[in-house]
Amino acid sequence: MFDIPKESQVPFGCVTPAPVGEQPMMITGNWREYRPVIDHEKCNLCMNCVAFCPDACWQLDAAEETVAWNAKYCKGCLVCVNECSTDALSKAYELDFPDGVVRLEKPF
Amino acid sequence: MAKEMTLSGCAASAQAVKMAKVDVICSYPIRPYTAAMMELAKMVNEGELDAEFVHGEGEHAQLAVVYGASAAGARVFTGSSGVGVTYAFENYSPISGGRLPVQMMIADRALDPPGDFGSEHTDAMSARDQGWIMGWAETPQEAFDNHLINYRIGEDKRVMLPQFVCQDGYFVSHIPDKVKLPDQAQVDEFLPPYDPGNHVLDPKKPFSHGPQIRPDQGAIMDSQRAEAMLAAPAVIEEVIDSYNRIMGRSYSPWVEEFMTDGAEIVFFMQGAHAATARHAVRHLRDQGVKAGLVKLRFVRPWPTKAVAETLARFKAVGVIETSTSYGGSMRGGNLLAETRASLYDVPGRPLTTSFMAGLGGEVVPLKEFYWMAQKLTDGLKAGRMEKSVYWAGLEH
Repeated sequence: MFDIPKESQVPFGCVTPAPVGEQPMMITGNWREYRPVIDHEKCNLCMNCVAFCPDACWQLDAAEETVAWNAKYCKGCLVCVNECSTDALSKAYELDFPDGVVRLEKPF
Repeated sequence: MAKEMTLSGCAASAQAVKMAKVDVICSYPIRPYTAAMMELAKMVNEGELDAEFVHGEGEHAQLAVVYGASAAGARVFTGSSGVGVTYAFENYSPISGGRLPVQMMIADRALDPPGDFGSEHTDAMSARDQGWIMGWAETPQEAFDNHLINYRIGEDKRVMLPQFVCQDGYFVSHIPDKVKLPDQAQVDEFLPPYDPGNHVLDPKKPFSHGPQIRPDQGAIMDSQRAEAMLAAPAVIEEVIDSYNRIMGRSYSPWVEEFMTDGAEIVFFMQGAHAATARHAVRHLRDQGVKAGLVKLRFVRPWPTKAVAETLARFKAVGVIETSTSYGGSMRGGNLLAETRASLYDVPGRPLTTSFMAGLGGEVVPLKEFYWMAQKLTDGLKAGRMEKSVYWAGLEH
């Protein structure tokens, strides 16, 4: 009865495959107004950002001895900036970045 | 061996649930439905039924428990009445959207305030747009049969929707009547074990049920649910045909007629008060009034075609509402709006009006049916109905 393009179809009963690491079917990081920016010179790997991020968007990259930001799920709440013990994190306006997400282009 | 027992509606429901061999039952007490859970608890305790019996901490929890159990592939049963039905409301849409054939019994009870224990259809009717199959029983026998029928409809791969199996509180739930019980072999032939196919939680193939979806997926999910409801009528007709054949019954899938031969005016209604309406119709016929009764068996999916074709044969239709829709288009209940919409395209359609009756659980006595018949007869003479809603017992 309905003519739904293949790429738009949703699984029966709206089930989603269980995520392994990340949930690729539910990218939620496209409504930020600000994003956190790290100054690696100031970072002492205290892990506050890793511990406090409500969406696990900061992860330790042990090989590089740094913390890495995951833009796909960051909603710009800036808890990490607030909790940073060495002021290595600061906020920056999202649309100042060439890859900045436009809030109203797609609501979610 | 098939046998006949004297059972209340609740006890009949429990017998049906037992014969459906459910895997998980979740209860929470509220009268009048709770008598069904009492019976089922005894059956589980005495080893007659091998099911997991879970006591929910409230109606919302009841629905959450059966939601999960159904997702795990179990055939499930729960139920409630009145404010319990409304307390669980949040879970109705995710269960139908998740396409899980949960079955919930509702023995109607008026909503609060003020804590009225009587039967009124408003509790269940409030949930009629949640993507669940829904229909009423008039007798304990019909209640028994509807549980089995609904499991098979809901679990059909073309449908996969939950079902509200409703009966009027007290009038059906607590008044014993003769109920013919089939053999277990007949039930097994009619209702095979639930096969969820791939749509089942499995640690080897993990997936998430009820995750958040995006707005651009929402309309598509809704279209799936709408398609399932559109597919339901053909399945219902098939299932009822099969039930009649195996159990020796004679149910019509959509509407049941009583003394409609040569009728000019008919009562159109669902549920327990149809039992009184049958007597009213007989007495009216004796007095020369060409009255009849048409009883509705499913509200969702609404049988638009059957209602239109059936009611088009009469001159005036009095829709008896046992629920309210405050401020709705008909200023009364919900059934008249659906009935008029169904008749809209019928040339020379009958006059229609509605009667608010049995609200708060009041009985609808014979004299009120005679009064309604008089209003219909007057309307027929005048060529139009004066109003779209009359409150039986509260006006002259």
